[in-house]
Amino acid sequence: MKQRHLIHLHWRSGFGIKPSSLQSAKALNKKKNVNSIFESSKKIEPILIDLSEFDDFLKTPYQKYKKIHGADAATKLRQKSQKKVRELNFVWLKKISSSQCVLREKMTLFWANVFVCRDNHIFHMVQFNNCLRTHALGNFGNFVKAIARTPSMLKYLNNNRNIKSKPNENFARELLELFTLGLGNYSEQDVKEAARAFTGWSFKANGDFIIRTNKHDENLKTFLGVSGNLDGDDVIDILLKQRECAEFICKKIYTYFVNPVIDPSHLKELTALFYKDYNIEKLMRHVFSSDWFYDEKNIGVKIKSPVELMVGINKTVPSVFKKQSQVTYLQKMMGQILLYPVNVSGWKGDRYWIDSNSLMFRLKLPSVLLNNAKISLKPKGEFEDDFGNFYNQKNQNFTVSDKARAYFETHYSKTPFKRLKAILVLPKLDEDTKEMLKIYQNQNAFQYCIQLMSIPEYQLC
Amino acid sequence: MKRRDFLTKTSLASSLMLVPNFMKAFEGLDPAMLGYKKLVLIQLSGGNDGLNTIVPYRNDLYYKYRPGISISKYKVLDLNGELGMNENLAPLKSLFDKGYLSIINNVGYPNPNRSHFRSTDIWHTASSSSEYLDSGWMGRYIDQYGKKPHSGIEVDDSLSLIMKGQTMNGIATKDAKKMFNNAKTPFFNKVLENQTAAHLSEHNLGYLYKTMVSAQSSAKYIYETSKTSKSTKSYPKNPFAKQLKTTAEFINSGLETKVYYVSMGGFDTHASQSNRQSRLLKTYAEAIDVFVNDLEASNSFKDTLIVTFSEFGRRVQQNAAAGTDHGAASNLFIIGKQLKKPGFYNASPDLSNLDSNGDLKYSIDFRSVYATLLEHWLDANHSNILGQSFKTLNFI
Repeated sequence: MKQRHLIHLHWRSGFGIKPSSLQSAKALNKKKNVNSIFESSKKIEPILIDLSEFDDFLKTPYQKYKKIHGADAATKLRQKSQKKVRELNFVWLKKISSSQCVLREKMTLFWANVFVCRDNHIFHMVQFNNCLRTHALGNFGNFVKAIARTPSMLKYLNNNRNIKSKPNENFARELLELFTLGLGNYSEQDVKEAARAFTGWSFKANGDFIIRTNKHDENLKTFLGVSGNLDGDDVIDILLKQRECAEFICKKIYTYFVNPVIDPSHLKELTALFYKDYNIEKLMRHVFSSDWFYDEKNIGVKIKSPVELMVGINKTVPSVFKKQSQVTYLQKMMGQILLYPVNVSGWKGDRYWIDSNSLMFRLKLPSVLLNNAKISLKPKGEFEDDFGNFYNQKNQNFTVSDKARAYFETHYSKTPFKRLKAILVLPKLDEDTKEMLKIYQNQNAFQYCIQLMSIPEYQLC
Repeated sequence: MKRRDFLTKTSLASSLMLVPNFMKAFEGLDPAMLGYKKLVLIQLSGGNDGLNTIVPYRNDLYYKYRPGISISKYKVLDLNGELGMNENLAPLKSLFDKGYLSIINNVGYPNPNRSHFRSTDIWHTASSSSEYLDSGWMGRYIDQYGKKPHSGIEVDDSLSLIMKGQTMNGIATKDAKKMFNNAKTPFFNKVLENQTAAHLSEHNLGYLYKTMVSAQSSAKYIYETSKTSKSTKSYPKNPFAKQLKTTAEFINSGLETKVYYVSMGGFDTHASQSNRQSRLLKTYAEAIDVFVNDLEASNSFKDTLIVTFSEFGRRVQQNAAAGTDHGAASNLFIIGKQLKKPGFYNASPDLSNLDSNGDLKYSIDFRSVYATLLEHWLDANHSNILGQSFKTLNFI
């Protein structure tokens, strides 16, 4: 397989490729390379995080806990849980960067921005995150049904407060608008009917899903033209029957994995395939195996998300995931904090990552991480902060370790500059930038690598 | 070449002399064409308690709802015989007396959201509570009227949604020199010096180069224009006052920036509210006081409008922790010299007619306030920027 195509495949299905893996992969054909990507992601390795100190959470619902132990104890437990969610952010990022199941992690990241959710309950959030991971390459229908049953989603979109006597439309509306069909493919009446079908959905203190039958509306509903005593699963099944649902998801897949500009004929092809059985793995195999996926117009045209940028640099020179506070800082400054999406519609991605400030920061990032350059910018305070803390956010010092340099030396020092460039930078280099890079031809490989990572072309994959 | 050599070799090579032609397009516009009027938008972040800011001190219901945290009628600074200012806002009282302050009561929106994040989103994007927009209203103003990053400045280190447009974004800086230095790291500079317009038409890569060029150009413009303008007024020593000082220096230096956004934190007073809010209001008012004097001394106050809002007010009923929880509608301050209706713009909040959460109902949509600012202050077509047409008010 062509080196350039191989790098493209690995950037889109993961976070780039190491030169050491490149050599052996080049000998294999496309089919075998694609197979091996799926083979490595066969296993489902959930995030494991010690939550023994939160056992109380599982036994007693929060309100009951408050009654037994008092408001102060309840507040403390809640704050401890919030803090743990920030730790989960770090654990997740490290997993993205180090897991062997690269594609599964990339898909998990993708789905987290489709089924957008936010929760300070650490148990529920771990459960939610692992639900994304479990179904990331599975059947989309089962996926939606599983997500709808997670405590985090039930809470986030108020479905646990959706009861027969007072239906709450929040979940039903976002299910239609953001998770399956998209605006314009249903009526306001459909939202109302769908909400009624989900009445009574809730969860137990231990996180298990339950339907409170006395709160569930058993009457006739008519949703997208289908009438009956429908429940939540029926609504999801009806949604899957709509071709618009398959198309809606394929659009998201295409802009995330192929090109921010959609080619209608390719979208049609994907939709037809996905509509048959909603098998996500099959869909992704098709994407990565298609000839058009390797068209020049699809290579190096996507603006990396902050996470892709950080994980990509880390893949080349392990330097990023040393301290939790540093990783939080980087996410804040570049505008993508995992587990803390901006709103229920998620991050828009691509050009939306870029403004004057974020771009200056992103271009400087390699010299900050790898060349001990100083950065004195501070992130914004939180809404909950008091005046002092609001302004007292810390900037971070990064120092490149000898280990990182040594790693680079071992893996790249013998790589010719031309190859280094081909591996790190996918878009065709700007002529002037190319000229300018010549200045650095006499530097050592490490410096040259930092310079390559500092040009705008490196922002793309 | 060693990095250090490279540094010394390039740091003196002024990018000024090597400005490519396409960069010059960003400079040298006649500021008169854009008008002189400036808008400074201040967010009291966290949700300021409007009722203890402008106190309905004649209203029994107010004291009934807030037995532990209400402000005594003997302590308020009376404004109209019905409402009084929190005593910590004393400097604002003199602005009120001079006719430089308009207070608009009950500003909010239908189906209010009580999450900081979401409600801030709504205020920043000027959306309804059921739609999600990707751009801020000031950003869209820059898109259509300013056309340069420095047309809108957020006085901070990173950019908020309010300043992000659809094709163009504002720029964030609380230290022009720092930003200028960040934007001209040797490599960054070198890329730009060597850059011709060849790439600029291309899709995402072109977009990155364009953003990089305009960022550096704006960083340089802001730094070089404002570096000689140093405020002589003595501001209180706190970070909010510092932000306003920077804003005054930017305005007084004649930057062609039209809109500024400053966020002041700390207003999420769920517990022990009284002392915390007192300190915050004092900090706010004292800084505003010097800020107005500073602008006045440079003759730029008449062309500057200062608008203060919060993402929501707070629950009328106090909570068990001597604080208040997230609420809905609240008051908004307009400070300026050219006010049409100084004093109270509209009726006091109605404490006998609360919504189902026990929050104040809105009577003025915040987008009507934006529409007015756009039409009557910034000379912009509001429906193009807000996406639909709103009733304008007559406070300016």
